[in-house]
Amino acid sequence: MITQVENPVLEVHDLTVSYGRNPVLWNIDFTLPKGSLAGIIGPNGAGKSSLIKAIMGLLEINNGFIKIFDQGLNEVRKKISYVPQRESVDWDFPASALDIVQMGTYHKLGLFKRPGKAEKALALDCLKKVGMEKYRDRQISELSGGQQQRVFIARALAQQAEIYFMDEPFAGVDISTENMIVDLLKAMTAEGKTVIVVHHDIHSAPKYFDWIIMLNMYLVASGPTEKVLTEELLEKTFGGKLSLLSDAAQLIKQKGFNPLKS
Amino acid sequence: MTFDPNAFLIILTGTLIAISCGLLGSFLILRNMAMIGDAISHAVLPGIVLAFFFSGQREGIAIIIGAGLLGILATIIIDYLSTKVKLQNDASIGVTFTWLFAIGIILITVFAGQIDLDQDCVLYGEIAYIPLDLIVTENNTILGPRVLWIAVINVILVLLYVGFMYKELKLTSFDKQFAQTIGFSTGFINLSLMGMVSYTTVSSFEAVGAILVLALLVVPPATAYILTKKLKPMLLLTILIGFLTSLVGYYLAYFIDGSIAGAMASVSGLFLLAAILYVTIQKRSIGKGIIMPAELKR
Repeated sequence: MITQVENPVLEVHDLTVSYGRNPVLWNIDFTLPKGSLAGIIGPNGAGKSSLIKAIMGLLEINNGFIKIFDQGLNEVRKKISYVPQRESVDWDFPASALDIVQMGTYHKLGLFKRPGKAEKALALDCLKKVGMEKYRDRQISELSGGQQQRVFIARALAQQAEIYFMDEPFAGVDISTENMIVDLLKAMTAEGKTVIVVHHDIHSAPKYFDWIIMLNMYLVASGPTEKVLTEELLEKTFGGKLSLLSDAAQLIKQKGFNPLKS
Repeated sequence: MTFDPNAFLIILTGTLIAISCGLLGSFLILRNMAMIGDAISHAVLPGIVLAFFFSGQREGIAIIIGAGLLGILATIIIDYLSTKVKLQNDASIGVTFTWLFAIGIILITVFAGQIDLDQDCVLYGEIAYIPLDLIVTENNTILGPRVLWIAVINVILVLLYVGFMYKELKLTSFDKQFAQTIGFSTGFINLSLMGMVSYTTVSSFEAVGAILVLALLVVPPATAYILTKKLKPMLLLTILIGFLTSLVGYYLAYFIDGSIAGAMASVSGLFLLAAILYVTIQKRSIGKGIIMPAELKR
């Protein structure tokens, strides 16, 4: 069940990626329409993070190609934003929340140039959008996990990109932060930005995303949520772990349940 | 105490070297690469020997270039072993520098009959001799101690490097993946830092010796790291601690009549200890002073 679209913002063509001799992604081939809020779901080790790392040029590609806005990665870097997993960095780094958010403006500054007043104002504005303006001068190790994630999202906002890739932004954050981030992402896609999120919780997936990419080393499905979130495809993606899925399946079966509106 | 020009020269040179080492070392410890300074300082030996063999000079630009190239080569080998061969990072460092150092020792013994070079002059500097080794021009003008000039050039280049590359060094130290995605050449930035570390260690060896260089690369930045919460104050504090290390170290050596480099390295360790004590005591006193907010009481 793979829905291809005309004039995609993202086109992944026949992508194969491996770590040494172990393949992690096989022949991934999909397209994504502009303005979608897409969730990549799949079991652990399905290659969800690897997929967006490969798209961002952080992993070597064995085969295939990726086009963003019909161009190669290097031509469109300024339009792309990447939010790594929160645990991928050392939060004891001597920097304040505002310092980190300002890093989102670096790509437009060029070599040797330092951020000035305009960049600082933009960074403060982005901190405000994630409700963190009070913590602008707080050292990042003194923030909670959810607050650190908000700082990462604010840094991505400061990039003023057109397409956002986020690796597990909801991992280890409390429900209020999760809701805040989801609202923010929905507002962004309403403005025509495209957001792709690696997500581990299939129960909340139908509520959050209007497009779902199901992955288990190969591409199981890619399409509008209401079309692909079926029991059959979930089983195919998650294999034998059916007990885990029954809740979600039940939810989908419920009459009148519209994943996009609840 | 009267003004002693020799003491002034030694403390000034020590301070300049402490600033060069400390600024670069700050970024090394933030990258979890503190031991790379140790590795590079050993790995440059074959470069020094070969440069000496070809140029015939024991000091000067050839030695610095030879050492710099070997430092960068060591970095590339370490990077290859840890990322491509998937050896642990510390194991990669341990393998690389002992191997290159051993090659350097072989080269010294092979060329021993032909060249005047021994481990002592490479590994152990003597800061006390600084005022004696002067640059004298042809018309007998004394330009001051040679080692001081080397340290001045070094500190200017390090300040320029950190000043221009501040944003790049900061981002790649905190979040390398993100830096890569916005198009920063993380490989080049890393190699440039390692090149500067190689140059600085070799440039400083002769003046203050290997142990003090290694201490100044790690200990003042580590002390500043404990005491500060932001990068710029950390760098400024590193500079201040470097100066105090040089000053207090010199007078400690003067009063106990011991090695100046050894005293400076010991003093930097004592500063670190003092910083740890200060932070620990401060944490305790904060814990005692906390009163539970009324709204949390039942």
